[in-house]
Amino acid sequence: MGIVTRLLRRNLSAAQTAGFVISNFIGIAIVIAGVQFHEDVRSIWDNEDSFIRKDYLVVNKTVTGANTLGVKDTGFTTDEIADIKSQPWVRKVGEFSAARYQLNASMSAGGGRALTTNMFFESIPSDFVDVKGSRWSYTPGEQEVPIIISKDYLTLYNFGFAASAGMPQITEQMMSALTMDLLLSGTTAPPMHMKGRVVGYSNRLNTILVPQEFMDWSNALFAKGEEAPSPRRIIIDTNSPGDVAITDYMEAHGLEIAGDKSASKASYFVNLISGLMVGVGAVITTLSIFILLLSISLLMQKNREKLHALIMLGYPLREVGAPYIRLIAIVSAVAYVMAVGAMFAARSFYIKGISGMAGGATGSVWLSLTVGAAITLLSLLFNILSVRRKVRTAFF
Amino acid sequence: MNTITIENALPRVFLEEAERPSDVWRCNLSISRGEMVNIKAESGTGKSSLCAYIYGSRRDYDGRILFDDRDISTLSINEWQEVRRRHLAYLPQEMSLFAELTALENIQLKNRLTGHLTDERIEHYLRRLGIDARTHYPVGKMSIGQQQRVGIIRAIAQPFDFLLLDEPVSHLDPHNNRIAAEILCEEASRQGAAIIATSVGTDLDFQPHRVLNL
Repeated sequence: MGIVTRLLRRNLSAAQTAGFVISNFIGIAIVIAGVQFHEDVRSIWDNEDSFIRKDYLVVNKTVTGANTLGVKDTGFTTDEIADIKSQPWVRKVGEFSAARYQLNASMSAGGGRALTTNMFFESIPSDFVDVKGSRWSYTPGEQEVPIIISKDYLTLYNFGFAASAGMPQITEQMMSALTMDLLLSGTTAPPMHMKGRVVGYSNRLNTILVPQEFMDWSNALFAKGEEAPSPRRIIIDTNSPGDVAITDYMEAHGLEIAGDKSASKASYFVNLISGLMVGVGAVITTLSIFILLLSISLLMQKNREKLHALIMLGYPLREVGAPYIRLIAIVSAVAYVMAVGAMFAARSFYIKGISGMAGGATGSVWLSLTVGAAITLLSLLFNILSVRRKVRTAFF
Repeated sequence: MNTITIENALPRVFLEEAERPSDVWRCNLSISRGEMVNIKAESGTGKSSLCAYIYGSRRDYDGRILFDDRDISTLSINEWQEVRRRHLAYLPQEMSLFAELTALENIQLKNRLTGHLTDERIEHYLRRLGIDARTHYPVGKMSIGQQQRVGIIRAIAQPFDFLLLDEPVSHLDPHNNRIAAEILCEEASRQGAAIIATSVGTDLDFQPHRVLNL
């Protein structure tokens, strides 16, 4: 240790230093554990349905006897859609469009026995579908169409149909490796054979989804001149999933939210809990930064004569402040490392459960580590500025 | 740095008081490199204030003080630190030594900034001033006279154009006063520098070119 450091460390209170390390450690640990918890829990939803974000709601009108008798239509009128769009919890609204032609799909699985069925297609605007890369697109002329099907269909086939009809069960991966033979037939064009490939499964969309481009092209070809019926279902991008106002509105207008409604509510609570954790942690961290500011100020006040004497000797102010800045850097780094350790320890308690629910996936730790580092650097910056100011005041 | 000029300066505390005859206050005074100046003062005439003004640690005066043509009130902190390391050496009356450091550490505290004296040179000065046995002694346990000798060596542990000494020998016997004066004059003449010494009682044992009454 240099002479200057030895001189200026005099009067350093071990209790104050420990007080800062502990409070800063607790504050940062709570903040980054909150961020990490949020990241980890989110991986459950992300894994559950990577194509449709959790704050998208698929909405349709409740089917009643009147619909069955044909007295009442389940389609959305332009006015109804405009009204939904004007709600404060709505970011944007997309309409489902349906294929207006006959569709027949056959698929040979395993032993060559073909499964043939009548089918339907729907599409939603592409910006609601989150498929990485160029897999989710269609250019007229292409022979192959990408398809997202409801996970329920695969379950129905595997456990309902295949088991009773003596067909082999298939996995998601096998299904994606196979292509479907599609037969499209309509009134305005001769029937056409195409291929379909399943690129994903969705828990939240009870439909068979094709790209909007394909839908527009095929409807124009096979149902030329036909007017598009009003949409039966719409997809809503909401900015406050779990908001009570949404449920109230749906009930009042006889609408139903499809799929897992609890996910958005749970997401609301996770956001609330991690928000609370980050808030409490931020308060503690702020207090700890003030403890450090005060301790260092006090220490420098006690050593003011020495600081002044060193400046009188011609020491550069930078060098006079350096021992304090080094001290601050060391204790901040110690608090950060301890907080990261505590975060990983806390994570080990819940990560097994979450990773089980999320099919082995867990959130990334980079965000929380970065947040912790950013807080530490910010605290460092404040303290360095304060040390510099204090050194300058010792000039006279 | 070639000259220190004091123009019509006066400590603000004296503004209300009746004017006394002085060779410094309210005068135009210039001191150049190579000069030996003794400033004789009575207690309370602003001797330490004058030193603090020239060294930049206080600013409560009227008038101007200039280094060459530069008004020192315009010097930045960094410029002051450069002046204090390279051009202006100072032994304050209270010495400002660090009590918990040894004699050698106190000297090295300055010398490591400037690299001016070799270890042998420091040893040589300690020996000449008769405090070599106290080299590794904490300064706080030394007598004022011994501390004054440590302060003298620390003051010259840097290059300088002017050496400002505030009552440098007030606690030294005539013998040590003479040795101290010899060392200070040697260092000053080696660098062609000026010495400005003040005293209320015991004068530094040197041959000043000018004696000023404060």
